[in-house]
Amino acid sequence: MLRFILARIVMALPTLLIVIASVFLLIRMVPGDPAALMLGDNADPASIAMLHAKLGLDQSLPKQFAIWFGNLLTGDLGSSIATGQDVLSLVWARFTVSAQVVVAAVLLACLVAVPAGVIAAWRQNGKLDISAVSIATLLMSVPTFWLGLLLLLFLGLKLRWLPVVGYVSIAEDPWRGTLYLIMPILTLFLHEMGVILRMARASTLEVMRLDYITHARAKGLTESAVLWRHAFKNSFGPTWTLIGLVLGNLLGGIAVVETVFTIPGVGRLLVDSIFGRDYPVIQGCMLMVALVYVVVNLIVDLCYPLFDPRVTIE
Amino acid sequence: MFTRASLLALGILAVTSPAFGQTLRVALNQDLRSSEPGVNRDGNTDVVMTNVVEGLVSYDKGGAVGPLLAQSYEVSADGKTYTFKLRKGVKFHNGNPLTSAAVVWNFDRYMNPKTNWYCLNDFNGTNGTKVVSYSAPDPDTFVLQIEKPDALFLDSMARTDCGGLAIMDKASLKADGSWDKPIGTGPFTFGEWKQGQSVQFDAYKGYVSAPGKERDGFIGKKDPLVDHVIFMAIPDGATVKAGLESGEIDMAIVPESDVKELRANKDLAVEVGTTPVRNSFILQTRDPVLKDVRIRQALAISLDYKQIVEAVTDGLGRVNNSPVFDTSGYFGDVEKKGFEYNPEKARQLLKEAGYKGQQITVHANKRSTVPSFPMTVIAQQMWQAVGLNVNIEVLDWPTQLSKYGVGGYMMQSTSYSPRFDVASGFEQISGDKDKQPRKVWDNPEALALIDKAMETLDPKVRQPIFDKLHAMILNDVPIILTHNRVSCMAHSAKVQGVEPTSFSYGVWGITKKD
Amino acid sequence: MKRFVAANAAIGSVIIGFLVLVAVTGAVWTPYDPLGISFRDKLAAPNARHWLGTDEFGRDVASRLMAGAASSVWISITTVTIAVSIGVVIGVTSGYSRGWFDRIVMSFNDALLAFPGILLALGLLAVLGANKYGIIVALGIAYSPSVARIVRGTVLSIREREFIAASRVIGNSEAYTMMRHVLPNCLAALTVLTTSMFGWVLLAESSLSFLGLGVPPPAPTWGNMLASARPYIGQAIWLAVLPGLCISMTLLGINLLGDALRDRLDPRMRDRT
Repeated sequence: MLRFILARIVMALPTLLIVIASVFLLIRMVPGDPAALMLGDNADPASIAMLHAKLGLDQSLPKQFAIWFGNLLTGDLGSSIATGQDVLSLVWARFTVSAQVVVAAVLLACLVAVPAGVIAAWRQNGKLDISAVSIATLLMSVPTFWLGLLLLLFLGLKLRWLPVVGYVSIAEDPWRGTLYLIMPILTLFLHEMGVILRMARASTLEVMRLDYITHARAKGLTESAVLWRHAFKNSFGPTWTLIGLVLGNLLGGIAVVETVFTIPGVGRLLVDSIFGRDYPVIQGCMLMVALVYVVVNLIVDLCYPLFDPRVTIE
Repeated sequence: MFTRASLLALGILAVTSPAFGQTLRVALNQDLRSSEPGVNRDGNTDVVMTNVVEGLVSYDKGGAVGPLLAQSYEVSADGKTYTFKLRKGVKFHNGNPLTSAAVVWNFDRYMNPKTNWYCLNDFNGTNGTKVVSYSAPDPDTFVLQIEKPDALFLDSMARTDCGGLAIMDKASLKADGSWDKPIGTGPFTFGEWKQGQSVQFDAYKGYVSAPGKERDGFIGKKDPLVDHVIFMAIPDGATVKAGLESGEIDMAIVPESDVKELRANKDLAVEVGTTPVRNSFILQTRDPVLKDVRIRQALAISLDYKQIVEAVTDGLGRVNNSPVFDTSGYFGDVEKKGFEYNPEKARQLLKEAGYKGQQITVHANKRSTVPSFPMTVIAQQMWQAVGLNVNIEVLDWPTQLSKYGVGGYMMQSTSYSPRFDVASGFEQISGDKDKQPRKVWDNPEALALIDKAMETLDPKVRQPIFDKLHAMILNDVPIILTHNRVSCMAHSAKVQGVEPTSFSYGVWGITKKD
Repeated sequence: MKRFVAANAAIGSVIIGFLVLVAVTGAVWTPYDPLGISFRDKLAAPNARHWLGTDEFGRDVASRLMAGAASSVWISITTVTIAVSIGVVIGVTSGYSRGWFDRIVMSFNDALLAFPGILLALGLLAVLGANKYGIIVALGIAYSPSVARIVRGTVLSIREREFIAASRVIGNSEAYTMMRHVLPNCLAALTVLTTSMFGWVLLAESSLSFLGLGVPPPAPTWGNMLASARPYIGQAIWLAVLPGLCISMTLLGINLLGDALRDRLDPRMRDRT
């Protein structure tokens, strides 16, 4: 087991390297110049050249990469072009905020959507199933920036239950901090619930048709035993993979929700630094997102044998 | 045992915002770039920092330069020596008195290339004026010499993007010489800054205001009338609106299209005014198609400006085809006369030019703070109506800017940041394209006239020059200016004293009722 | 139960049939010019002249929805086809062969997965130009690794089952086994993912647009209509509700049809009926 984990971590290194290198290249291929953005009206050729030299952007690409990568190995991710903040601490601080929202939302979505999907499959084409599938479809067709806005207007402005703007970290004030996180978590939860529910339903349906379910029923097991012990356990694989995907995807795609609810998370940081062409911060964010991906995938694969005994970890 | 975490959980340590007294909450679409004035900056940061720091001179509300930390100033007959007398009794936020030695220290710091001052090249001779020497003959006097007379030197000293040459105490730097936080002389002190979220300023009890009965741009009476100000970074316009309506935000710039709706809310008010920001389409005069002046003229006169401006400003803006902004003292009858809307003549011009439907591409961007995208969508329809084959390419702002920087475009829809001095406003768009490809108007005769306007501040000399330049640019059409930005400052009805101009993030003189 | 399945399939077909009809019509004819501006009619509520109202430029919403159907359907079909074809090939071969091949392919796959769509879109749009094709390629590439991962996961779990081993024992080639026995068993997961992906594609563009990266093609799409309606929530709610409804109905139709299609294609289901 330990050997497997170690092997997987070693295996993940090429993935990280590919991500880092391609981000580095891609963001420099995209037109736009951080120096021109900073200088604004003063962007005469001489000033641009001076700033490029100061930022090290006048070097050749391989050399820039070598310098950045060398620093990375010593744990130095550089500092932001826009604000001068240290990238490592900046990205970490923002990441912890996003992680709270994403993990809570996905956990909630799983707790609700997986059982709902299994039950919908059990009652296929019944009233329960049809309403579950319709709600899931509807939720999937509302973009998060609309869902977020509607929640904001309803829970925040109309009912006055929750604050509309601002952010307080949970470490600073657990109660108020939680209040600020409710709406973003709810938005993501509703959005992700649809796809997880449908996946759980589809995979359960798939298994319910197999012979051994018929055998189990014939043996006189109760419906719930058939459903949870046999059907659910054997059908959870694809749903589990999907949850891993959703978790990883959200960290990259949470920017919209963070924008609506003024949450200082890593998604917003990434988008802002893309628009500011803040290369060190973009690279730092991407490294973080890629690391999370690797870890999430590792966990997904490690857990696979738990409910699918046919898959073994070599 | 009580751990720190459990104390936090009990709320014992959780003293969050010292919200004693009145707190004014102001929305910004982006957080401050830095707390270092004139070094790492953008437009919002410049104005927000005027609450904390002040320079020797600054702008009044008409854009003219007046004394701020200076009591008075004198220019020698040869125009090369400036003598500033400092205002008495002014103290920095840490209690140190303002002296001419402090001013010298600040100049040393700005002129040192290591500081990375944004305007260094405008003061060290690289781009024009060179500061030769400065000294402090006595504690209240600061004397400065420049190489050649420069009518706009005081204007350069007041420029907000240069940080207004803010005079700060030495303690603004850490012991190792790196930046800590601004300790200035402004009406508010720089408080807690949660980067990426919000920054708090607190009223400076020891503030000594410049003379004056009321606020006047960045000068005049500047006393702080609320105890705290929190500037919050809120990127999404819909959230800002919800925050205003819920009362969690007291002041925010809103788009023109929200004004009617917000005015209907009795708890809110909206102040509307124009700023010197100029919205425009720029045309690449070296483009194979657009180098023909008749095609450029056709592009200009096929637009119904009244309709465009009314649509993008929701009826709040005014057409202005002149580089002279419409609240300037130089905006006279000549400048009021813009392009004539004449689609018939546009067709005629196109025919004469032998235009055969070559595609003309306009770059636009969707930033919420500029009308670039809607303006281009509307104009495209009008251009197509006279037979111009115009295509819109939407780019993200950095991409558009990088194409602007090298002149790599046919047309762009863009907005120019404010220049209070009209000659500087012309200079901003004009220049030799061989040396500076980002310049739009490359006309030697015009460049000579602009240089002449920069030699003096005498309106009698300058007005005829600006009138001439205005007529020339309408004929050359390197740029199609449409209107000055409409600034809509929405605020809670409890808040009084808000100005809807470029100065509106300067929050002195603003009161808030309970 | 069979009656329900048939009814679902019928409803799905009707919705999708109607959608295709609208899209085809919208490509050739609309009541008004979908790009035609008219300031007098700005933000008009649904009325006799404009059945579904007008937007902030006074453009007819019904015409824009019709024209939008054409481009949205085209964009989503091509994107999903690209993503699924690439993803299935990679997922099946990788999951079936396992070993070092699987590892190398999955390193690249994970690298692509970790790439946020916004950065990928920005980069590809800069290279391909800010147009419809840029969006299609960018999203197609962005979604294919998810498909590959899901398919690979399913393949991993079924390749150990008896009937796969049996197929090999009786001497069937690897390729035949894959096509005949492995792929059909991925269908359930694949159907859900594919139908969900239609929704993601229809919305992805509107999220990009919201973040300021939108690529407004010459013709409107439902996604960018939805995004640009946001500031008008208080004044013209129909601007958002209508394209939103179009997207919901399309997804519903695709889901119903997708489920029915799966039941038809699934070998085990077929044997049972």
